[in-house]
Amino acid sequence: MKQKLLYVLVLAAILLSACGGGGGGEGTTLRFGWIGKPDTLNPAYAFLTESYTVFDLVYSTMVTEAADGSYMGMLAKDWSVSNDGLTWTYHLKDGIKWHNGEAFTADQMAWAINAIMKDPDGWAASANYTGGFAEVTAPDDKTVVIVTEYPIANMDYRVSFLYAVYPPDFKGFTTSEDLQNFTNFAAIGTGPFKINTFDKDTGVLLLGAFADYMDGAPKIDGIVFQTFDNTDAMIQALKVGDIDVVNEVPASAFETVKGYEGVTATAINGRYFNELIINSADPNLDPAPTGNPALADPAVRLAIAHSINKQDIVEVVAQGLGTPGDSIVPPTLGGGFWHSPNIQEIPFDIAEANRVLDEAGYALGSDGVRAKDDLRLEFRLQFPSDSAVYPRIADMMAGWFNQAGMKATPEAVDPDALVAATTPAGDYDLVLWGWGPDPDPDFILSVMTTEQFVEGGWSDSGYHNPDYDQMYLDQQQIVDKAERQKVIWTMQEMVFNDRPYIVLYYEKMLQAYRSDRFTGFIESPLGIESAQSLLNVTAVK
Amino acid sequence: MNRRDYLLRKFGLSLVTIFVVVIINFLLFRVLPGDPVRAVVGRNVRISAETQQALREQFGLDKPVFPDQFFDTLGQWAQGNLGVSWSLREPVSDVLMSKLWNTVLLIGLGQVFAIILGVILGLLAGWKRKTAIDVGALTFSLIAWAIPTFWLGIILLAAGSSWFGLPTGGIVSPMNVGKPLYTIIPDVARHLILPTFTLTILYLGEYMLIMRSSILEVLSEDYILTAKAKGMSHWQVLWKHALKNAMLPIVTLIALNLGFTVSGAIYIETVFSYDGLGKLFQTALTKQDYPLLQGAFLLLAVSVIIANMAADVLYAVLDPRVKES
Repeated sequence: MKQKLLYVLVLAAILLSACGGGGGGEGTTLRFGWIGKPDTLNPAYAFLTESYTVFDLVYSTMVTEAADGSYMGMLAKDWSVSNDGLTWTYHLKDGIKWHNGEAFTADQMAWAINAIMKDPDGWAASANYTGGFAEVTAPDDKTVVIVTEYPIANMDYRVSFLYAVYPPDFKGFTTSEDLQNFTNFAAIGTGPFKINTFDKDTGVLLLGAFADYMDGAPKIDGIVFQTFDNTDAMIQALKVGDIDVVNEVPASAFETVKGYEGVTATAINGRYFNELIINSADPNLDPAPTGNPALADPAVRLAIAHSINKQDIVEVVAQGLGTPGDSIVPPTLGGGFWHSPNIQEIPFDIAEANRVLDEAGYALGSDGVRAKDDLRLEFRLQFPSDSAVYPRIADMMAGWFNQAGMKATPEAVDPDALVAATTPAGDYDLVLWGWGPDPDPDFILSVMTTEQFVEGGWSDSGYHNPDYDQMYLDQQQIVDKAERQKVIWTMQEMVFNDRPYIVLYYEKMLQAYRSDRFTGFIESPLGIESAQSLLNVTAVK
Repeated sequence: MNRRDYLLRKFGLSLVTIFVVVIINFLLFRVLPGDPVRAVVGRNVRISAETQQALREQFGLDKPVFPDQFFDTLGQWAQGNLGVSWSLREPVSDVLMSKLWNTVLLIGLGQVFAIILGVILGLLAGWKRKTAIDVGALTFSLIAWAIPTFWLGIILLAAGSSWFGLPTGGIVSPMNVGKPLYTIIPDVARHLILPTFTLTILYLGEYMLIMRSSILEVLSEDYILTAKAKGMSHWQVLWKHALKNAMLPIVTLIALNLGFTVSGAIYIETVFSYDGLGKLFQTALTKQDYPLLQGAFLLLAVSVIIANMAADVLYAVLDPRVKES
């Protein structure tokens, strides 16, 4: 009996000792919780947004996106373009240092860009940004000159992804594969924070403030990134104060998080949107797309548009944390500069939908489904099975369509199978899906071009419009922003009126931080975790 | 057949099974729809069709599945090389080993506690049949067995972190990452409490139920009556006569459960952000990382087969009837 008691006491002692202690991360180190972790810190082969969040803090670029969507100098104090739009000259700031104390020079920046141009396959993740570059040189220690083959309209955006990597780390790779296998976990940069430790297995990343940062040292000691595998645990960690920042709060938890003591939750307009894709593939393709041919009728598309209550979707599915959408270029791009103000939203109006279809000759059948000759308004309504929101949207839509005499059958499909069914097979009628556009409109506009409707391409609607395609190519070379804006507005209006996509709503970015410990976060589409925001953050005394 | 022949035959069969698993593993993942390159780099990532093609060539996906890819893979494996993970860009064997010990530590601890407590509870319940102890233990075990893993994990996590200040995830505190293990044992222990506790509760019920029914069966045997008649005490009967015989089904269960240990408890690892094999499997699947998937499933298959063999061997030791059959 005595022995048993002893065992119980020992066990209790172990438990108690283990329960004590804890906390950690005192002082002014910001503890950051996120889902996921960087897979590599090598910009040549980094595809996860987590990697780019770290690059933003550790590396610098000559130009960077500001919180208001414009571009500002980072390594560069100013820059200019020649009249023919082909030569870009960047003047670098003084006194820039690498994290190891060495001086940063213009030829190192030029070397980093040249490395991408020489081995685009190896620099798989960066090669898109140097397309059309002819020559990059450093005429002196403080100047970088980029000469391009043709005028590049979105040069600022592109340069904002060309990181100043430390050349000695990236020299000596003989094959593309060797370069990509380099994980660069001890990356040396010129950014405001330097890497102290990165544990690839747990994803724990310790960053320290870089005292010699060109624009002045950060006001906090450092940042700890901790990876969580489920959002409930992460939110709980924020609640009990194990972490200070959560950069992605699930919509379902947002109201709860807002109520936590000492926590501030922010909802700001982001870039991500959800859309209804209407099969617009060219019927003459081989093999022929299988979409319901009735979808080619503008009247049917208009009726579909009238039968969607975007506000309801936002309220019910997104818990009000979104905005009804119209254009594929969200209002947040470039601080609103690129979003067309000329689009007239199609109001939710089932009666009008019925009227449009009556007028177009689609008669209501005894089964409640309209038809004209052998065109029956009966559609597959598919969505990727990994989404929690699309099933509900699909159900709501099917209900509205039904009131207008159109039958839609919701169906969850494996995302990979859905890619195969859409691009370039065109084997679908209606699909619910979403996009996260780049800061520059070029990418999301490319999604609507004919040439992207190929294996491995980005078009899923199969939209084919030669005028649009030509305008897409034109806007890439219009360096004058106001001129480019006009073209891009027109392109958005074309997509809106032809309706290969019906944009449903723009999602809000939901983030939260412990305002009882830190203050000064900058709320912008860049997120409260952007370098600019974290440079501004201070500990609450 | 003597014991050596019995074991040799089991061993040979195991090798054949592993070979079949290897072939099925190879085919299984290639039948899945989708493009591994797009899955590895992410669906929302901007890389050109040319770059995607370059990666496809690098991964060997431009060649036909049979014979090229198949024999390339077999040849590699024959040399003991599991290849390089496409998404993590590290040798598959390194990745697997780094997670294996984490998982073994977590599941091993959970299993040990569950076995000890489960067997004790089962014994008690069986011995004190139809008493309050029996009913209580039985109810508890049935509930524990039926609780969804994820739900129990989240509840314990919320309670443990709010009331006892226990960590909300991970294996060590971020500040202790990279330090030598012996300096951070208390920290690791703190991180293990909640996931181990969850696992223990989840497995406990199964062991208890099996143990209870097993001991009830044994206790109804004539030799138990004989032992009692000889005047042995309750504990002596239980310890010397009943327990050893009642342990046979438990041994099988333990061996099978340990085999699946390596597959990790995906749910537990996900709830507690624990860096183990279960999570790795999940990532490999979503990324369609063939080399990693093949390596992971091979490891899983081999450990299940080894555990089964271990059960057979233990049976041969524990149960004299196996020798003769």
